Amino acid sequence: MILTSSNTLENKEIIEYKGLVTGESLIGSNIYKDIFSGVRDVVGGRTTKYEEELEKARDIAFESMKEKAESLGANAIIGLKISYDNLGGTMGNTILVTAYGTAIKYG
Amino acid sequence: MVPQLNTDNMKIKGHEVDFKYIAKVVISIGAGTGFGLIVYVIFLYLNIAIFGWNLGLIFAPLGAGYVETVVANRLLGRNLGAISAFILFIDTTFYSFILKNPTLGMNLITAGSIIIILQAAFPTLVNYILLVIIGALISNLSWAAKKVIAILKKIRSNVRWETPSAEPPVETELYYDENKSNERLNSLNFFFLTSTDMKDRRHELLGIFQSEVIIENKVKIQLKNDEIEKKRLYNIKEGKDECIIQLANRIKAAGGNGILDLHIQYGLIGMGGDCIHITATGMGIDIIL
Repeated sequence: MILTSSNTLENKEIIEYKGLVTGESLIGSNIYKDIFSGVRDVVGGRTTKYEEELEKARDIAFESMKEKAESLGANAIIGLKISYDNLGGTMGNTILVTAYGTAIKYG
Repeated sequence: MVPQLNTDNMKIKGHEVDFKYIAKVVISIGAGTGFGLIVYVIFLYLNIAIFGWNLGLIFAPLGAGYVETVVANRLLGRNLGAISAFILFIDTTFYSFILKNPTLGMNLITAGSIIIILQAAFPTLVNYILLVIIGALISNLSWAAKKVIAILKKIRSNVRWETPSAEPPVETELYYDENKSNERLNSLNFFFLTSTDMKDRRHELLGIFQSEVIIENKVKIQLKNDEIEKKRLYNIKEGKDECIIQLANRIKAAGGNGILDLHIQYGLIGMGGDCIHITATGMGIDIIL
């Protein structure tokens, strides 16, 4: 499965536009995680726990999107868009990760 | 030397009644009651009330008790225990709850107010009831409840329950069917394109289209937050589907059959971000098939 944010695939012909595919995931407002992350911020370290969680959330969104594309018979996703939105939460740490694009079949 | 209480003015000498003393008592109570009634009338006249409950019911007995104590201290050298406050309590309660407002029922505010009035009239007694008797009752009841729960648990552990039938678990409303959603979106005979053009396909531009959906975003401090997050994500996915379908319908209504450069955005709105705003925007197109 090829994922690209461009409109076309270089040296490949788009045979069919299969449709819109989306994937979403949410990093929860886990109170314990928030507290420990806050402590890390105070002592000046990087909040690696959050980085891991963000990566995990992005992977979930991507996987969900790819599964949908496969179920439509596509072999690539073009015009890929990813966004991270803060939805508030316990300490403003609930983050919605969304990925969407156009599923296509190329030849 | 142990101080002795001067009871000369108080005692009934033989069978003779000290009318002078009684008169002073009546004057003190009367002054207190009179003052309390004036206070109550002022509060009623000015309608100083919270939730329809006149504050004179509290301040009238308080004022009565205060004036009575001041007068009694001057005339008798001692206080009488705020008898006028109790008289005011009976008067005002009768007037407010029975005569004037017979529809005022017994609710939490009424009960609390009566307790405050009683406390103003009989502080020691009411405080004793509130702190000692009720405290002891709660303590004893909680102890009894613990015992009953322990007995019930013991009985339950001895009872053999029937094995549950092997029926499949019922799907909860939190289950979001991704495949169903995917089919739903892509069976609208509509071209959803996140890219900015459609190569090798002639199309007519119809203009910018937009749709919006607002969903609830309950933000709570939860120790067990999995279900909350699940529900929130479920709502977001549902909202997104609705938003995209709404957009497609708008373009279809304008004679189009596709969209270019589709953007889906999420944001917080409302007081304290209690709602999630989902928008879908893009360029409506009519693809010449």
